[in-house]
Amino acid sequence: MQKRLPKFRSSLRSCDYACQFATNDSPVHRLGAGWKLLFGMVLSALAAGGRNPVTLSVLVAAALAYYLAARLTLADLWRDVRLFAYQAALVIPLYCLIDGVEKGLWPGVRISTQIVLFYLPGAVFLRTTRTSEAMAGLRRIIPYRLSFLVFVSVRFVPVFFSELEDIVALQRMRGARLSPREQLDPRNWPDLFNCLVLPLMVRALKTADEVSRSAEARGFGLYPQRTYLDTSRLAPGAPEGGARETEGQQRPLSAGNF
Amino acid sequence: MHDTILDIEDFGFTYHGAAESSLTGISAQVRCGEFVCLTGDSGCGKSTLLLGIMGLLRGGRGVGTIRVTPSDVDDRAPAAGIVFQTAESQILCSTVAEEVAFGPENLCVPADEIALRVREGLASVGLTGEERRSVERFSAGQKQRLAVASVLAMRPGLLLLDEPTSQLDVQGKEELVAVFTELKRRGHTIVMAEHDPRPFEALVDRYLKLERGRLVGSDRVPPDPVRYRPKAFLLPYSSTLYGTRPVLDVQGLDLSYPETGEVLKKAQLRVSRGERVHLFGCNGAGKSSLLRCLAGLIRPDAGRIWVAGKESPGPGDLRGQVGVLFQNPARQLFAETVREEVAFALQRLAYPVEEVDRVVAEALSFCGIAHLADRAPLTLSFGEQHRVALAAVVAPRPTLLLLDEPFAGLDFPQRLSLLALLARMPIRYGTTVLIVSHDELPDRRWADRSLRLQGGEIAETAP
Repeated sequence: MQKRLPKFRSSLRSCDYACQFATNDSPVHRLGAGWKLLFGMVLSALAAGGRNPVTLSVLVAAALAYYLAARLTLADLWRDVRLFAYQAALVIPLYCLIDGVEKGLWPGVRISTQIVLFYLPGAVFLRTTRTSEAMAGLRRIIPYRLSFLVFVSVRFVPVFFSELEDIVALQRMRGARLSPREQLDPRNWPDLFNCLVLPLMVRALKTADEVSRSAEARGFGLYPQRTYLDTSRLAPGAPEGGARETEGQQRPLSAGNF
Repeated sequence: MHDTILDIEDFGFTYHGAAESSLTGISAQVRCGEFVCLTGDSGCGKSTLLLGIMGLLRGGRGVGTIRVTPSDVDDRAPAAGIVFQTAESQILCSTVAEEVAFGPENLCVPADEIALRVREGLASVGLTGEERRSVERFSAGQKQRLAVASVLAMRPGLLLLDEPTSQLDVQGKEELVAVFTELKRRGHTIVMAEHDPRPFEALVDRYLKLERGRLVGSDRVPPDPVRYRPKAFLLPYSSTLYGTRPVLDVQGLDLSYPETGEVLKKAQLRVSRGERVHLFGCNGAGKSSLLRCLAGLIRPDAGRIWVAGKESPGPGDLRGQVGVLFQNPARQLFAETVREEVAFALQRLAYPVEEVDRVVAEALSFCGIAHLADRAPLTLSFGEQHRVALAAVVAPRPTLLLLDEPFAGLDFPQRLSLLALLARMPIRYGTTVLIVSHDELPDRRWADRSLRLQGGEIAETAP
């Protein structure tokens, strides 16, 4: 009676969205944010310059090794690159159509692979770097208010993807023409704006208001500089903080002080 | 210990563009160590008053004064800290430790002291050892406790709570009550806005009752619960009226997520035409996931679903036949007037123009919003937007109406009113209604059948 869907479907739900931070520990997680950025930029630059099959094969192997060293799974990889698979499915036939299969196949494959290779180190960075680590790196370059803005935006990307999915489903049930096939017809584009973009914008503005209010309520922007949590102090055996740096100024700390 | 920490004198506030004041002539005092509850129906001004105390009201016009005594022990500590109603948009960082550290970091607390505050803050709310966890994996109750910890880490003199239990199930509420009991024992001063203060009765020292922006009472006894008179239209389901053909049939549904594992395990559900069904489950039990499977938003790992005679339908296959109302229905509103909003689905179903006008008028009248027909939906109150969204989905007279946490954000009278509307759906339109919620229904007699989702399985509960 029951129709079982192929088993691999459940394994694909290994994370909620592409590039989601993975809380596990790995050598890549322990690497500093700056090093990861540098390593990623080198890999991406090599990917952009790679032209022949051998170079690209080596780069694919290197990128995969980097990805797997972060203890990310193949299911995670699929989550991260699946949009590019659709792109490849479009790019390769287009090249074949323009230049013929013999001449167009390799450039199509090369361009598609280069795009994935260019992007993959960025995905590893997002999956293995905490907001605070990334902010710590960014704040050396840009003011902390701006770096916070960047990372709070990243934090809310999945929330808006989830909102988007819900709104699309709700509006389609009400008759809005929002399916990809329906959107191929320009006459249905007003539905995209009215039924999806408009509610999403209203939601985004409301969330932005709530977020800024929450940040303001917690003292964000009160001082021109701010301090940062030292995560190494969070380990159970870590020494109690405050004594050396604040000696003579701080009261003894206890739960009752809250 | 009895010094005044909060002194409000003749405070009033009018939002920009609003015709009436949200708050008028509010005067009150709160002493150190007190637990004060602001009560009143939705829209009475509770949240506005809390924002006023925090100094977070933007634009608009305020009168009177609010004085909050700052801490005399810690010059960096803020005078007051607030926990907002929606933890989701209050949590700004990706891990628990970062979130709790955010406030102290902004207050320029030394780095090594921040770690101590994080540990102490988490200990206060029973989240010790969770420092490195991703906040996205937390349940609603855990998120709310995390929000409390992140405010406590700043060591405010006064703790403000805005409807802290509105998103929580029974267990989450109990956990939060335990946290506040401990905070009160330690001498914290707490002001909580809550339209249903029953879970906190043992803790509250004083109730301040607000009505239409005015303070109408200050009492040590809780306000009277809303009385509900039995409704004659609560007719029980009868298969002779509607037939026995199922509108919804779910067989052997499996669904799993990373980290949380299996959410649904061989779930079975069969709902007949005209039935009123309530599906209850704790936060994270998989209720919303089940509803998303039924609406075609999520493809399950295994199992079969028939909705309104269609097998495993997508959202586009259910036009006009299934109405869905997710949490926060305001996000599906977009039209310039309420009338256009309700007419949209009918126009897309190719109803004749004169028929559209008639059905829209009927749906507006059914939902009690005929007087709002020419208003812009996005300018209405939350309760009114809720009704507009409901009118928009009931107008095509769907075979099945699915509602996910429809009572969130509504006060008790509004909940009862919504329930009364939904009770009339089967008789009026032959619609089957399935309500999914983490709380009991405002009136348990509403449901023909009550089900519980627990451990991934759906089971009938005793009437």
